[in-house]
Amino acid sequence: MISFYEILRRTEEGPHIDEREFDLKVVASESRRLVREYDIRFNREEIVTSDDSLADDVFKAGFELALKAGFLTVDSRRVIKLSEEEIKEGLRTAPGELLVGQGADARLLYARKVEDSRYPVIMGGQAGAPIPEEFYYQMAISYMQEPIVDTINNGGLAEVKGIEVRTRSPAEALAAMAELRYLREAARAAGRPGIHLLAGESSVTCIGDLAAQGEEFLRRTDAHLVPVLNDLKTDYDRLTKAFTFKIYGGFNVALVDPVVGGFLGGPEGVAVGFIASYLLSRVIYMSDYYIIHPIHPKYVSTSTPETMWVLNIVGQAMARNSNFILMGDVWTSNGAGSREVFYEIVANTVTNVATGSHPLGVSATNGKYPHASGLETRFMGEVARAAVKLKRSDANEIVKEFLKKYHPERMDRPDVGKPFPELYDMKTITPKGWWLKMYEEARREVMDIGLKLE
Amino acid sequence: MVKGGVSEEQLCKVLYKAIIDGDDAASEKAALDLLGKGYKALDIIKSCMVPAMKVVGDMFARLEIFLPEVMMSADAFEACMKHLGPKILEEERREFIKGKVVIGTIQGDIHDLGKNIVALMLKANGFEVYDLGRDVPVDEFIKKAREVNADIIAVSALLSTSLPYIKDLVKLLNELGLRDRFKLMVGGGAVTREWARKVGVEGYGEDAEEAVRVALKLLGKK
Ligand code: B12
Repeated sequence: MISFYEILRRTEEGPHIDEREFDLKVVASESRRLVREYDIRFNREEIVTSDDSLADDVFKAGFELALKAGFLTVDSRRVIKLSEEEIKEGLRTAPGELLVGQGADARLLYARKVEDSRYPVIMGGQAGAPIPEEFYYQMAISYMQEPIVDTINNGGLAEVKGIEVRTRSPAEALAAMAELRYLREAARAAGRPGIHLLAGESSVTCIGDLAAQGEEFLRRTDAHLVPVLNDLKTDYDRLTKAFTFKIYGGFNVALVDPVVGGFLGGPEGVAVGFIASYLLSRVIYMSDYYIIHPIHPKYVSTSTPETMWVLNIVGQAMARNSNFILMGDVWTSNGAGSREVFYEIVANTVTNVATGSHPLGVSATNGKYPHASGLETRFMGEVARAAVKLKRSDANEIVKEFLKKYHPERMDRPDVGKPFPELYDMKTITPKGWWLKMYEEARREVMDIGLKLE
Repeated sequence: MVKGGVSEEQLCKVLYKAIIDGDDAASEKAALDLLGKGYKALDIIKSCMVPAMKVVGDMFARLEIFLPEVMMSADAFEACMKHLGPKILEEERREFIKGKVVIGTIQGDIHDLGKNIVALMLKANGFEVYDLGRDVPVDEFIKKAREVNADIIAVSALLSTSLPYIKDLVKLLNELGLRDRFKLMVGGGAVTREWARKVGVEGYGEDAEEAVRVALKLLGKK
């Protein structure tokens, strides 16, 4: 694979282009052309698709887009272009299996297939949400103590010791270090000291990331996020993260989250953009695994028809044509403490698991409020395990059935639920009776449609 | 002056459609031809161009078209304004320009998708918009707002770690004695209605549609 130094050289010597021109003449117009050429079509009746050739077409179109576009470095306005050979080498060398975490808590992350019958790896936590320091620790334990949760991606800290965290201030470094200390301590308290962390979420630039590398913080068996900027862009900050963490020896995770209706166009163009982003980030970030996170322009959530279709087709396209390891996000509009959060989880998780990805969540209220807990993540894990037995066409029926229960009424007026301390007893870190009852009722509803939960 | 309204002119329909299609060359030509025929710049803008942008905004809100199409329409609109702008008086301008907005994503924050959408929807609804981009330092907002004599400063913030910078902006405006000169409006994932009220910001929008409504309200317009 080409080296960091070569990537860096391309950020300085690649073709120069104005950002707006890149957005419109490269990303927007090429993705539209490819969607037309491959005749890729979103159909809201078929959210989980059974057409293999559609998935393959999305992959081919994405490959073409990667080759044509490259990543724009926004700081230098130069494009990091890759050759066909370089992209193919990235595909060839991608790890299809990764041992993450340590000791008894280590887990094998693997590239899932379409309709894979193996249990997916469950990544739990309210990924990225700003969580008050007062209950960060207890909330982290609520995820780690769930046996079904294999790995963790939790929220960040908005304040440390009463000081508001500002981007790029020293507080950012302190927050990232504090976050990791809480997570490590919570892992020990939950009896899972070696659990794999995807963390450093308080690090909004590379500052926190750089500060939080080490045994007591992010270990070499842990991972951090390196976002691809929308769309098909990167910057020095992201590259610093990617390079330094790789040299340190940890795992780079490519976060790709384009918005439907943005430069890439509708769900079809967004799907093509995902593939291109993965192929490019494999080489440019040396990514080890990948997050699928399509965004709805109105609701943000991954649980809308458009965004679930994208999760579905991107998962299948990659599963059939690569051995990239994919984590499919589960981001809900409704919050923990509401009934609807469970409905969103069912539709979203079934989609992910049947189509080649592992579920990651639950980021309730789209990570806006700390209205989340270990309990709905347990539910996500249980649904995920039950979903491995599903054919795509059956998965599609379940998804549509549950979608009806929250879309669009409960997306327009979501019930944001309650903050963690109102959901759990803060001393025993167990769900309160009413919240547990809601969970049990939701389980029953799932069983009623024939999904067998453990 | 020619007889009959410009809206009855075939060329007006051509201009209207060219803006919706985001065809800047065709828009520019149609606008120039209309001027050549003796129509007043203000009438052309009000009767052919503003309605086109309104349609574009509505289509985007229904997701029938996407961000690039809206950008191209806005470009076509601006291409025409290059010629028509100098031909109208400042007070005439106020008849179709709802107000001037300086917008950007605040310091340290590079989330700009939502901000771009808000900027375009404001444009589509008749505001003159100065988009400073992302990661914009607090004093840049103020500098630009003074320079263009803006009515509103609009700030987008998606990260909790961006919020302290909005407080800085409010503080600095107060210190400079400019707080009453500009209306403030905020939005983006990290901001809530309550937070905005708490830090003394008068405008908050949950989404782009509300952003437009609030901007109009702040300026006492419907
Ligand atoms: C897309 C996205 C990204 C993209 C942004 C690309 C881009 N060019 O914008 C990328 C991948 C770059 C990214 C990076 C990061 N992100 Co981010 N991101 C998101 C995500 C998923 C969606 C945002 C979005 O585009 N929504 C769609 C648009 C259409 O909606 P919108 O922005 O809300 O805008 C609408 C309204 O809010 C309103 N509005 C917006 N602005 C304004 C302004 C005014 C004046 C008004 C009236 C209205 C208004 O109108 C808009 C249109 O309807 C959010 C999740 C969320 N809940 O928001 C996280 C989120 C904001 N990100 C988050 C995080 C943690 C990060 C990273 C730190 C990740 C990491 N570990 O590296 C980095 C930080 C980078 C930085 N320094 O800024 C967290 C923030 C947590 C916190 N601390 O507050 C969030 C909440 C997600 C999460 N829980 O993890 N992210």
